[in-house]
Amino acid sequence: MKRLLLIICLLVPYLALAQTDRRRDWVRNGIDIPEVTVYGKRPLKEIGTQQTKFDSVVLKENVALSMAEILTFNSSIFVKSYGRATLSTVAFRGTSASHTQVTWNGMRINNPMLGMTDFSMIPSYFIDDASLLHGTSSVNETGGGMGGAVKLSTKPAQNEGFGVQYIQGVGSFRTSDEFLRLTYGDDHLQISTRAVLSTSPNDFEYRNHDKKENIYDEEMNIIGQYYPIERNRSGSFRDFHLLQEVYYNTGRGDRFGLNGWYINSNRELPMLTTDYGEETDFDNRQREETFRGILSWDHLEEAWKVTTKAGHIHTWMAYDYKRDVGNGTMTHMTRSRSKIDTFYGQAEGEYYIGNEWLFTANLATHQHIVSSEDKNIIRQDGGKAVVGYRKGRAEVSGVLSAKWRPAERFGISATLREEMYGNEWTPLIPALFVDGVLSERGNIIAKASLSRNYRFPTLNDLYFLPGGNPNLRKESGWTYDAGLSFAVGKQGVYSLSGSANWFESYIHDWILWLPTVKGFFSPKNIKDVHAYGIEAQANLSVALSSEVQLSLDGNYSWTPSINKGEPMSEADRSVGKQLPYIPRHSANLTGRLAWRSWSFLYKWCYYSERFTMSSNDLTLTGKLPKYYMSNITLEKEMQFSWADLSLKGTINNLFDEEYLSVLSRPMPGINFEFFIGITPKWGKKK
Amino acid sequence: MRRFLRLLLLGGLLLTTSCMKWEYGLVEEFDTSDSPEGLFVCNEGNFQYGNATLSYYNPAAGEVENEVFYRANGMKLGDVAQSMVIRDGIGWVVVNNSHAIFAIDIRTFKEVGRIVNLTSPRYIHFLSDEKAYVTQIWDNRIFIVNPKRYEITGYIDVPNMTMESGSTEQMVQWGKYLYVNCWSYQNRILKIDTETDQVVDELVVGIQPTSLVMDCNNKLWTITDGGYAGSPYGHEAPSLYRIDAESFAIEKQFKFEFGDAPSEVQLNGTRDKLYWLNDDVWEMDVTADRVPDEPFLAYSGTIYYGLTVSPYNGDVYVADAIDYVQQGKVYRYSKERRLLDSFYVGIIPGAFCWK
Repeated sequence: MKRLLLIICLLVPYLALAQTDRRRDWVRNGIDIPEVTVYGKRPLKEIGTQQTKFDSVVLKENVALSMAEILTFNSSIFVKSYGRATLSTVAFRGTSASHTQVTWNGMRINNPMLGMTDFSMIPSYFIDDASLLHGTSSVNETGGGMGGAVKLSTKPAQNEGFGVQYIQGVGSFRTSDEFLRLTYGDDHLQISTRAVLSTSPNDFEYRNHDKKENIYDEEMNIIGQYYPIERNRSGSFRDFHLLQEVYYNTGRGDRFGLNGWYINSNRELPMLTTDYGEETDFDNRQREETFRGILSWDHLEEAWKVTTKAGHIHTWMAYDYKRDVGNGTMTHMTRSRSKIDTFYGQAEGEYYIGNEWLFTANLATHQHIVSSEDKNIIRQDGGKAVVGYRKGRAEVSGVLSAKWRPAERFGISATLREEMYGNEWTPLIPALFVDGVLSERGNIIAKASLSRNYRFPTLNDLYFLPGGNPNLRKESGWTYDAGLSFAVGKQGVYSLSGSANWFESYIHDWILWLPTVKGFFSPKNIKDVHAYGIEAQANLSVALSSEVQLSLDGNYSWTPSINKGEPMSEADRSVGKQLPYIPRHSANLTGRLAWRSWSFLYKWCYYSERFTMSSNDLTLTGKLPKYYMSNITLEKEMQFSWADLSLKGTINNLFDEEYLSVLSRPMPGINFEFFIGITPKWGKKK
Repeated sequence: MRRFLRLLLLGGLLLTTSCMKWEYGLVEEFDTSDSPEGLFVCNEGNFQYGNATLSYYNPAAGEVENEVFYRANGMKLGDVAQSMVIRDGIGWVVVNNSHAIFAIDIRTFKEVGRIVNLTSPRYIHFLSDEKAYVTQIWDNRIFIVNPKRYEITGYIDVPNMTMESGSTEQMVQWGKYLYVNCWSYQNRILKIDTETDQVVDELVVGIQPTSLVMDCNNKLWTITDGGYAGSPYGHEAPSLYRIDAESFAIEKQFKFEFGDAPSEVQLNGTRDKLYWLNDDVWEMDVTADRVPDEPFLAYSGTIYYGLTVSPYNGDVYVADAIDYVQQGKVYRYSKERRLLDSFYVGIIPGAFCWK
């Protein structure tokens, strides 16, 4: 017991997490404590890269979780959530959401109009492989990731015969989650169909401290006031996702793949805590239908590999803001529609010379065609008109890299990327990576990387009406990072690994949308930003006995992100200050404890106080205090001859904390979820 | 199992360190009865962040108090504080995206009542103790309210205007008639009969008249912003218009350069001098035939967002919203253009109201 306490005390300061490749059914089989990866086995592809990988234990933890929640509790990046089942964006290393590039099976899925990705719309059950490419490391995958890139992938289930998995979840606020997966597989063919349906009125109760209800006497004098207990108003959602995959492996080095992901989402936008409108008199709703499809072909030989992909994304989004004009008829105050079609193609090659050299080349194209209709108006001549824009833009990105490991203890890699958006090209984007083993004992490895990067304005930045600014320059920046990692352990007994990295980035011409005297917002190249800090992570897995196993994973990051621009006027007090909404400190910790078929999961995260003003002034109205969040889960696996069953209970926000992620956006207090999962063993050996 | 349970217990002990506390409900007492002159500043805050605030400036003492609504009432003012008027010691603060108008005692800043469930209120104009009009954006109706009972009592339908492109703004009264400028994707001044609550006439001016005042000679003044590049409603050079209230006809049009963005027409206390923003701060006699060659205050590298003139002594106050995500700054100039004072207020100071 003392030993355990000591280990925990030593680990807690790390507050970090390393994602190693563990077995999916860890509950049933216990935590697999692998042999420590020795330095000589480090893949050439990953020379000098800073990446965080998520295994299926994390991704498949809870059918109700989106990738936003997975990243909140398991990574060092900042997740800005506007509420439950509401827009959630992620940002690396003190940058903004549009500085995070996101790919799904290689295809970039950032919204080309907004530049960002809503991670609340990505169910974690649809992702089999996820990794974060921090800073420079993103240049290997895509351009424009001034903060980094999130790489999401699916992969064949590798099942034999038919398989079925069904999970039903019910939770507080009449939340229902259903997940179904059908699989078929043989030596050549792997087919998988996954569907998720999540619905909820999402009307959680909270005490609203931003407003008071008045009690009047007959003369309409206020005789009392109180903070009302309100329900989250206008917060319902219904999200449906369907993912179809077909993989065919010829067995002679060729693999063909088809991935199709359909999303149908209907979400109300929750009313602010400062909204005094009647919920029934307003309808504020966002709907989305998206299809993402990819066809792929891989050909593998002993020393080389080629991959080609073609894909299409179609997104239809509708935003409706209506009010009852008094006769029960809801009339539009705002009716916005947008359509995005993206056509994608990619070719990639890898060529190995022995174990020392790897050359890669990749060319990706995305052609966007966008139609945005933001408002219907009556023209001066009495005719009707729509305020909006229709534009297309071709985006081409090519990259060449050479990776060389002249000795087992040292590797170096150079990458050159070139990008074209519309008619504009970036200068060559260079990136350099090195790593080396400092000590075999403890597997102490040093890594460093350096790169330039650019980000083009989004289509809304350029063309949105009103306010789009076609004269915007692309953002540019330099970033470098350097760090150490270690890994020790004994197979089947324990493993301990960790890393700490220093990073520094400079971003010039940062694009911000600012109000104008004409009453609308318009983007400008406004800021120069210096972001720097530390990312640390650690992972411990211990077999406490033959039946009790413990793992602890933690992350910590310190991310000053400082405005280094010129003052906007002599009154400007923002220069030299932390950017608003970016926490200086964040941390999370996940503990897993397994005993036979029982398991207990504890998740904790922390964000330091965030400023809501660029001047970092603290005011009563703009306060976003630090917060801690704790979730726990208890799970029991049961095996029968006909099926495997799992029962799972989760408590979110265990201590019923009142907290805010964004000003005036209500967040739920303590809430509960219960899941039952069944995996029949039809046709399987019993 | 025992070991498993012990570990669970240990984990539980670790978790209990994570509680946090907020401080709510603290209120302060204010009493401004000893300062007959006082300036309220409506700080819009950032749209959809609910961080609007109200500041109070005592010109005699040169002192400012920020967030007075929050501090006096223990709650937020809301989302986008658009405008404020005072009537009989009660300040009426219109909070646009909170769908509300708060009534406060202007001595103590304490709330005395509120009108709620408006569509998207912009300005309130009193006709009597029991009747006021409230203009809206994204609604083609002007709301009629009973301020005494804090109730919505009716609507004025604006012709040739849909909900989606609805926009009614500032109001001035001449006799029984009320004039309203229609701004967003509009080009009209409305004339409303306050006895029948009907729009009885309208006057087409330029694209998007932003503000409306009436001078000492009963002339209406409005200034258009001319729209924006690419707008399907049109884009033109903005203008300043002088309109005779009685005949409801344009008497004079002062044209600006194409691409200019003038706004915020204001009057001094005697209503014989006109002020507006157009990068610089401009001043003009209401009887002038042309815009002066030189501005009252030259452009100083920042775009001013708000403007007011003291009705007591003619001091000119301009508000700098800086980068729109920090406390803005208000500069106070004498009639002789001398900087007298400056003070920080809240985020995006857009509207002023004199006690």
